[in-house]
Amino acid sequence: MAEVKLEHIEKIYPNSEPTKKRKKKGDAPERKSNLKITDQGVVAVEDFNLDVADREFVVLVGPSGCGKSTTLRMVAGLESITNGTLTIGGEVMNDVAPKDRDIAMVFQNYALYPHMTVRDNLAFPLKLRKVPQAEIDQKVDEAAEILGITEYLDRRPKALSGGQRQRVAIGRAIVREPKVLLMDEPLSNLDAKLRNQMRAEIIKLRKRINTTFMYVTHDQTEAMTLGDRIVIMKDGVVQQIGTPQDVYDHPHNIFVSGFIGVPQMNYFDARLTKEGDDYKVELDGVTVDLDGEKERVLRERNVEPQDIILGCRPEHISLDKVEGQMITGLIDVSEMMGSEVHLHLDVDGKDVIVIVPSADVNRKHGAGSLDVGQHLDFTFTGDVLHLFSKVTEENLVY
Amino acid sequence: MPERIKTLASKHRGLVVVSVIMAIVCVIWVLPVAAVILNAFKWNTFVKTDTFALWNAENFAGWSNFITGVTFGNYNFWLAAWYSTFITIVSTFLILLFCSMAAWYITRVDSIWCKIIYYLCIFSMVVPFQMVMFTLSSTADQLKLNTPWTIPIVYLGFGAGLAIFMFVGFVKSIPVEIEEAASIDGCGPVRTFFFVVLPMLRSTLISVGILEIMWVWNDYLLPVLVLDINQYRTIPIHIQYLKGSYGTVDLGATMALILMAIIPVIVFYLACQKYIIAGVAAGAVKG
Repeated sequence: MAEVKLEHIEKIYPNSEPTKKRKKKGDAPERKSNLKITDQGVVAVEDFNLDVADREFVVLVGPSGCGKSTTLRMVAGLESITNGTLTIGGEVMNDVAPKDRDIAMVFQNYALYPHMTVRDNLAFPLKLRKVPQAEIDQKVDEAAEILGITEYLDRRPKALSGGQRQRVAIGRAIVREPKVLLMDEPLSNLDAKLRNQMRAEIIKLRKRINTTFMYVTHDQTEAMTLGDRIVIMKDGVVQQIGTPQDVYDHPHNIFVSGFIGVPQMNYFDARLTKEGDDYKVELDGVTVDLDGEKERVLRERNVEPQDIILGCRPEHISLDKVEGQMITGLIDVSEMMGSEVHLHLDVDGKDVIVIVPSADVNRKHGAGSLDVGQHLDFTFTGDVLHLFSKVTEENLVY
Repeated sequence: MPERIKTLASKHRGLVVVSVIMAIVCVIWVLPVAAVILNAFKWNTFVKTDTFALWNAENFAGWSNFITGVTFGNYNFWLAAWYSTFITIVSTFLILLFCSMAAWYITRVDSIWCKIIYYLCIFSMVVPFQMVMFTLSSTADQLKLNTPWTIPIVYLGFGAGLAIFMFVGFVKSIPVEIEEAASIDGCGPVRTFFFVVLPMLRSTLISVGILEIMWVWNDYLLPVLVLDINQYRTIPIHIQYLKGSYGTVDLGATMALILMAIIPVIVFYLACQKYIIAGVAAGAVKG
């Protein structure tokens, strides 16, 4: 139960391989990934700022190597902080040992003590803190009950399934009621069904224990369903911080728009035009009016007409006929997902995904009209569009 | 089908040949031990003449060889046994404790010095003992390592190479997250080692322990070179000195003492055998 503040946090790995190679060969900086390389070394996390409120659930999400786990490990004290200040509950924690930070962490590979029974695993952090035995027993039983592992208390971790092991790992973390609970991809080792089940259990668990959560994942579904707020990272840099709804509705750049939302957002080359005070978007001979809110912001920012990348989520594409507004594509692939069908259209060589509710396929569109090889007309309205600068890839509106 | 039967038959023949060869090798290996057991209970005069003969009323000596061996000469056998036991236990304890710690450090701390120390340890396994034994004995004298109470330090030095090599192999297979979890749960480095890492090393500890115990208990050359043999003798040294006043050797008594010396090691090995395999496999699979 504490707030966590990360101010200008940076992690630089000195003397890493790329730097060494550069010095040896004396040539230009090598770029294995897109991480920034300075004279000090490789910048794994750059100028990270975040205020996690008391009892908030913040999810750090991003592709592999984006620095999300490194950030979490810096909060845990498992990695040193190169620059910046970390405070937990108002105390600066930069140089405090992990055991003195009053945090707990759940690891991707469970990290249970294999030589101890489940009961001993749960009791271990309490024993180290010299908690009286009666209290240890009570807390272990409570945690076991919350997580439904009471019947496995006398087993060793190797006799448990993956899901049970992860429950034990979560139990070990919650048993001593830490100020902050850190989770590093805790569901990544589980199969899809179990992952969904455990995700729901984490949501329930969160309601039962009053603590601050920081959760790392590369799975945007986990991020969207679990987090009060999401931090989206790429190449060590924070791309956007916001509520799940906010990052879905108002992505700050192309990366965020593509990372959040399944299937991924569709992109089109388009041109932003201005006639008097009115902004419009033109693509493939179709002109789309923008909604009032977007126009207001563009006017305020005095955005010049320019070539842009237009984004539209598959679920926002409309198949309703509007005279002179239709774009035509050829159905390449049809993916039956159950409640809906994902159609991949070829529009001038570009892949565009359209989502059609399964119920509408025959009823509304007619049998065979959405089969592979058929042409399909689609359009979209101005209120669901996202306008990104072609140069900076930033959202021109948000 | 006939071809298949042919192949199976030739496979079977191959197995029989291999089995016969292995059986012969086994006999060759067991023969010296059998000779020791047979001759430990024979009168001295029959040891030379009827070495591999089974016991009979004429040659069977009962426990007399053991009594002679234990009471022979002016050096107390039980004192030698005590020194052997002390040196073996303390040396093995030191090797297990320090080498497991060193291996943990070498594996987890990524520095050039750790790599150098590791390769020095590996290198020490390649250097034959005979190459260093004379400098060793004079160094041991200078450093007062020439008593049973201090010679375990010399054994620690010589045993470190193999022990660290084996421990490093296993520690590498332990996920570092377990130690990180321990550090978050409230362990410093010392507690992490003793509460988390050491218990996980159990099978390797037993494997290394057995190897070191067998080596130190049976070792003859190092104590002979380092210890003052008039004052301190281990069992192998004591057996070597089972000579009469004219240089005659009581072979029956010698065999009896050899049998007494190898029994504890064999019993210990048989008791812990399953852990040796577990330990070797544990280190090898995920190295």
